[in-house]
Amino acid sequence: MKAVKIVMLSLFALVIIIPLIAVIFTTFKSTSEVFSNILDVPESFSFDNYVSIFVDQPMARYFMNSVIVTLFSVTFTIFFASLIAYAITRMFGWIGVVFFSLFTLGMMVPAQVNMIPLYQLVFDLGLTNSLLGLILVNISVTMPVAIFIMSGFMKSIPKSLFEAARIDGASEWKMYRRIAIPLSIPSIAATSIFLFVMHWNDLLYPLLFITKNEYKTLPLALLEFQGEYATNYPMLFTGVLIASAPMVLAYLFLQRYFIEGVTAGSVKG
Amino acid sequence: MMKKWVCISTVALGTMLAGCVGGSGGGNESEEGGGGEGTISFIHWRGEDKAVFDELIAKFEEENPDIQVDMTIYPSEQYQSTAQTLLRDGSTGDVFTSFPGSQMEIINQAGLFEDLSGEEFLENYNDELITAGQIDDKQMAVPLQLVFNQPVYNVGLFEELGLEPAEDWEGFLALCQELKDAGYTPIAFPGSDIGPGQFMNSMMMNNAPEEDIFERLMAGEAKLTDDWWVQTLSQFQELEEKGFLNADSLGTNHTSAISQLANEEAAMLASGSYAMAGVKEINPDIELGLLAPITTEAAEAEWEGINTTTFMLAVNANSEKKEAAKTFVEFLSDVDNASTYANETGQHVTVEGVEYESEELKSTSEWMDRNTRFQPRFLITNADIERAVIASIQSVIGGDTPEAAAEEAQQIVDENLE
Amino acid sequence: MNFRKNKSLFLFLLPGLILYSIFFIVPTINAVIYSFTDWDGLSPDFNVVGFDNYVNIVSNDSIFLKAFVNNIKFMLFVLIFQTLFSLIFAMFLIKNTKTNIVLRALYFFPTILSSVSVAFIWTFIYDPSIGVLNTVLESVNLGFLQQSWLGNQDLAIFSVAVTQVWFHTGQMLVIFVAGLQGIPKDLYEVADMEGAGKWDRFRFVTWPMIAPSATIVMAYTTIQSFKAFDLIFAMTRGGPNYSTEILATLIYSTAFRSFEFGYASAQSVIFMIVIALITVAQFRLLRASRVQE
Repeated sequence: MKAVKIVMLSLFALVIIIPLIAVIFTTFKSTSEVFSNILDVPESFSFDNYVSIFVDQPMARYFMNSVIVTLFSVTFTIFFASLIAYAITRMFGWIGVVFFSLFTLGMMVPAQVNMIPLYQLVFDLGLTNSLLGLILVNISVTMPVAIFIMSGFMKSIPKSLFEAARIDGASEWKMYRRIAIPLSIPSIAATSIFLFVMHWNDLLYPLLFITKNEYKTLPLALLEFQGEYATNYPMLFTGVLIASAPMVLAYLFLQRYFIEGVTAGSVKG
Repeated sequence: MMKKWVCISTVALGTMLAGCVGGSGGGNESEEGGGGEGTISFIHWRGEDKAVFDELIAKFEEENPDIQVDMTIYPSEQYQSTAQTLLRDGSTGDVFTSFPGSQMEIINQAGLFEDLSGEEFLENYNDELITAGQIDDKQMAVPLQLVFNQPVYNVGLFEELGLEPAEDWEGFLALCQELKDAGYTPIAFPGSDIGPGQFMNSMMMNNAPEEDIFERLMAGEAKLTDDWWVQTLSQFQELEEKGFLNADSLGTNHTSAISQLANEEAAMLASGSYAMAGVKEINPDIELGLLAPITTEAAEAEWEGINTTTFMLAVNANSEKKEAAKTFVEFLSDVDNASTYANETGQHVTVEGVEYESEELKSTSEWMDRNTRFQPRFLITNADIERAVIASIQSVIGGDTPEAAAEEAQQIVDENLE
Repeated sequence: MNFRKNKSLFLFLLPGLILYSIFFIVPTINAVIYSFTDWDGLSPDFNVVGFDNYVNIVSNDSIFLKAFVNNIKFMLFVLIFQTLFSLIFAMFLIKNTKTNIVLRALYFFPTILSSVSVAFIWTFIYDPSIGVLNTVLESVNLGFLQQSWLGNQDLAIFSVAVTQVWFHTGQMLVIFVAGLQGIPKDLYEVADMEGAGKWDRFRFVTWPMIAPSATIVMAYTTIQSFKAFDLIFAMTRGGPNYSTEILATLIYSTAFRSFEFGYASAQSVIFMIVIALITVAQFRLLRASRVQE
């Protein structure tokens, strides 16, 4: 059993590490080297690509824009969604189900369909070429997933805890803050990781709403390495790696809350 | 724990409000400070051309100090899906580019092309090469690029084996056989992406020499089950069955096919002249030329090759800065600037009098005077039908009979005509 | 009575609901309205065509049916393997040891790459001549297993599905870890005292307790595999011969290649109904599978 476990874990790790190495190698290669064999060790390890990506483009600006958009989008999605998830799980009768369905529906609509009407709306509101517009749309679009995940977890909080608090005269707001949130920390962390990835990599909405260089986010900037017939893969992957760094950090930071979550869980038990 | 959470969200909210104010303030500032009315937006899909356009724009801004150009490049996929939407309100794409075919059609229907007929800069172009930009005798857009959508071949290898491009179908098959016997893959065919849509043009050009064939298909007057297309499909099948296409061609993409030609595993690459720069980048010593399969008897062959005039420059009819936009198009139409563009991107242009510097551009320039036909695929203005046509080629290479594949594709055509 | 109890809870809904209504519900209703028209997505005017679009999809659209079948194949493959792998790996990695934390981060890594890079990496893996997969198979004497991974019409959709599983297993693992860590330890102690074996522990403690996470994972995986647009589009564009066309890619090309926005909207309405039905069915099934003690 133990052996099976180790074999499976290492196999899967290998399946991820090999392509990952290929990506890292690519950033040190010339275009022609990439096409000969993607797994070969690069001829030389020069950081030219890394340097030129910062020299040729206002990367710091794009980075900043991405950070602002992602941070605000994640924070507010989590905040609003946790309020709604709490309300849905606490609501009596069919009303909770109706709201749950209404929000869940949001996950099911293909983005391509909303795109044209949404663009019109955002333009009419004067929110194109603004980070605020992007953030507001991001929050609305990812809230359903967040509500979906968090309400799933909040449902498993024993009802008796809320009843007991109610008898002590606690308001809903207090129960949300003192019971629901602390007991949902692991799921909030999991959801935040989801959202980080989604917002950080999102391309569709920046593509639609941002046309000025000063408001571009990273994924939008990376597109410039893709040509009609030829893509500059070494530069593209250098950009991808640089762009992934903050998410690795975010992951490691949020990972802490899984560990804290266990402690919270045991207090509850 | 709890206090921390409340704290974080309060701080976040505060910063966000501050951010909003800052954000909108920043926007206004740039509009006033950054040249205001003089900033025009230029959108296109050629990521490869970023460097040369940066250079040209710098020159333009020097010559026209009151106009700034804000360039945004989208990958061609995204460009095709979002450009029209962005153009509609006039805020983006004062100068934009269009593909010929269905995109041009739809932009025209929405009335987004500013009519450029009578503009002086049109005289810089080769008259015959800018007809793709005309609708009802009005010059809606000016194609800048000229590409040849026919196979690229390794000239050195052909010479070494004593081979020459063939003049009829028998000859083409014999040529492929000799290449195969010599241990080469005769044709690298990028069947998973652009291959079918590119190779079909030269494969069918003489089987259906009338240029209005697809127009008639879309009018229900011609069918894919007719001889011209079934014949084309069975010729594709012949190439596949005789082992003249690379192994697993349907799983091969353009990138991989390019490397097969560059590494001299394959002798021909079934895409187009635009692939030459990519091949040269991998193998700078290779000498390249263009050829086209002649699928009939030599005497029956009407066409020698395929051309596409694309990257069509246009001015947005909803733009508030049309004059500035036209100035920029005029600038790009100038012989010197077009030369810079052509030589730095390795593409032919439709502007007359351009001196080509690179070997490839020089050697393929002769094709400008040959009897080439505008890419038939671009004359299929219905995208569903275009896909059905392409799918039938993949289907035949995947093992179906030409008749069955043609039948299936015709069914989709019929569904779309109703 | 119930309503009064709910009253203060409505305030909780308010901020999110306002944004959601403006930026999601309004555009969506617009899209539904367009599904009854022949709008091309661009022109200023259009005609109302009633249910024509819907009738056409059902009676006269062979590609829609093809895409639908492909979508079901893709979804089932991804659903089964992604859920299984993420659950098994989550159970392996539940303890917060150093190795486990590193492995969890590693497994999560593909998720943070963009679809474009994942597609590029995997087209290289599947490439017939220089591809990593065929090269590796050759070198370990399994050459007979070599396949035309993306070129074979019967296989291509599953090859893309494997990529999707690789891409998102780490993400689902995170949810399962969160779920597993919420299980109170004393439940296992009780089970141990009653002499439960490994399988019984899973069946009577773990499974009922992670059912909420499983529901989330499975529903989300289903929806995600219906919307796996970026990856499929970048890898195969729906080809060869429509063999990897799924509903999302079809809707995209209807709207932005053929410029039949009204028709694409009708296709999406059907798409939404299908996902909704599948999701509800899953909820029911999972609820039934929970062993109530």
